Amino acid sequence: MIYQQVINGLMLGASYSLVAIGYTLIFGVLGLLYFAHGEVFMVGAFVGLYLVLYAHANIYVALLGAMVACAALGVAAVYVAVRPVAKDRPLAPLISTIGLTIILQNLAVYIFGGQQVAFPETIKQTLYTIGPITISSVQLFILGVAVGLMVLLWLFIERTKIGRAIRATAENHETAALLGVDVNKVILVTFMIGSGIAGIAGVLDGIKNSGVSPFMGLSAAVKGLIVMLLGGLGNVFGAMIAGLMLGMIEILSAAYIGTTERDLFSFMILILILIYRPTGLFGTRTADER
Amino acid sequence: MFDGLLDGYTRSILIFAGINVVAAYSFYVPFKTGQVSLGQAGFMAVGAYTAAIMTQKFGLPFWAGFLVGGFIAGIVGVVVGFPALRIKGIYLLLLTLGFSEIVQVIALSWDYVGGAQGFRQIAFNRYTLDYLVVLIPLLIWFFARLERSSLGRAMDSIHQDETAAEVMGIDVVRTKLFAFGLGAMIAGFAGALYAHHATFMDSSTFNIMMGVEILMFVVVGGGSTYWGPLLGALFLTLLPEFLRTLREWLELVPVSWMNFFPANRVYDFLHEFLDFENAKRLIVYGIILIVMMILRPDGMLTRDQLRRFSLPRLGRRHG
Repeated sequence: MIYQQVINGLMLGASYSLVAIGYTLIFGVLGLLYFAHGEVFMVGAFVGLYLVLYAHANIYVALLGAMVACAALGVAAVYVAVRPVAKDRPLAPLISTIGLTIILQNLAVYIFGGQQVAFPETIKQTLYTIGPITISSVQLFILGVAVGLMVLLWLFIERTKIGRAIRATAENHETAALLGVDVNKVILVTFMIGSGIAGIAGVLDGIKNSGVSPFMGLSAAVKGLIVMLLGGLGNVFGAMIAGLMLGMIEILSAAYIGTTERDLFSFMILILILIYRPTGLFGTRTADER
Repeated sequence: MFDGLLDGYTRSILIFAGINVVAAYSFYVPFKTGQVSLGQAGFMAVGAYTAAIMTQKFGLPFWAGFLVGGFIAGIVGVVVGFPALRIKGIYLLLLTLGFSEIVQVIALSWDYVGGAQGFRQIAFNRYTLDYLVVLIPLLIWFFARLERSSLGRAMDSIHQDETAAEVMGIDVVRTKLFAFGLGAMIAGFAGALYAHHATFMDSSTFNIMMGVEILMFVVVGGGSTYWGPLLGALFLTLLPEFLRTLREWLELVPVSWMNFFPANRVYDFLHEFLDFENAKRLIVYGIILIVMMILRPDGMLTRDQLRRFSLPRLGRRHG
């Protein structure tokens, strides 16, 4: 029983991690709480859904399409709501991205209606039993894609030149610019990567819950924020681990305590972390030190 | 009041606009000390549920529920204000957002207040508009006085530089707690009025998006002056209604005038555009928000503007 819950926790946590990675990347580079990220996740889910429904694409094409569409959306967000907004007012970009959140969510309601739309079965359901654990092919696929993405991202940030530029910009804008890093390009790339990953996460979530709704973004956004905080603002590795942890905590508390208390738990964790350890579990600095 | 003057629809619009104004002021108080709260909807929920419990379960009259609701919300505000003292910026946003979510979860799982079914059959208060007509001028008068008091100036200085304010001898902790508690109390009043006007609420009534909307009222109207929240809340609440009225006027135009090529297309477009159901209204809000942040990041009204246009006050001129 407990092993089974651990698998479920990992499944839930993997999607939290994917959303939180985008948040934390963008926060690291811009110091911005990018509110619209949850809606990007929702848009990704709908793009995937429509590719499957109307273009009869297989799941890989749907994932790729959602990633590309969301990456484009991320770039658009930079040009519309981040770059033209006054830099000297810390609230201004936050509020303009809240505006973007509202636009995206309600455009989705306007276009797709306020109801949940069923996500068709794209992967053949088979159950594998390994010892005490039963795992389905869908779960295996979601876990595989999520973990694969995280490993790729990790390599990208640690091993490539642009990854190094992202780390340098996150450390200090001015110094990075002085050393020849094109900060504007780094910001664009960061939004592209973060949003693309969120798009994939959206499709995976659609498969997992076999449904997509215009309101799925908000809860994903809130959970993503908690995970970002838990992992330490701007800490990508921290976000990966913290996402898995939160997923585990939620599933275990739902299984052994109660389902309504599950959300209470995650928000209590949020507040306790805020009060006692604002640098997160693995973080080394706070937003004030930036 | 105004029974003969207003039809039910206009009355209901004015009531919701008024409640939004009160909610906007609840955000304005802590914002004056630099605290940005996404959780004002949570305090509204505390006030609304407390007041409804008072009137429904304890049989108290509305005014008593209203006062108790605001009072309890204020106490909760001070309690939340304590951890909020230590943190700011993005952390405070997350804290207040978390608080708002916790209130929602409690409302959802507490069967005494209806749980998932929602709080039903709350006594209807037919004097909501009268309460607002008294409460809003009272708030404006209070903030006008506050602006020129030492407490108001202390709040402004904390907003600008907390450390400097502390060095100047301002009791930062007390001032910030006061601001947070007072804001929560005002939100509680707004919530109590809302509950007894709508007569039904559930855990999702006071959700995060409501908190975001309240923040929007102040940011769009202008957070540096006490007229800003009033302006922002009225503007954003009445704009869709105004556009809807335009549409009704458009429909008065005889069809025969519009029955040839370019005019009929223009007519159709306008007719479609001015139809403001909720999703579209919010899309327009979002666009306004982004455009505002690009063109006027300090809101429609700023303190400097008011200073430039205001008449010199009796006895003393502005510097």
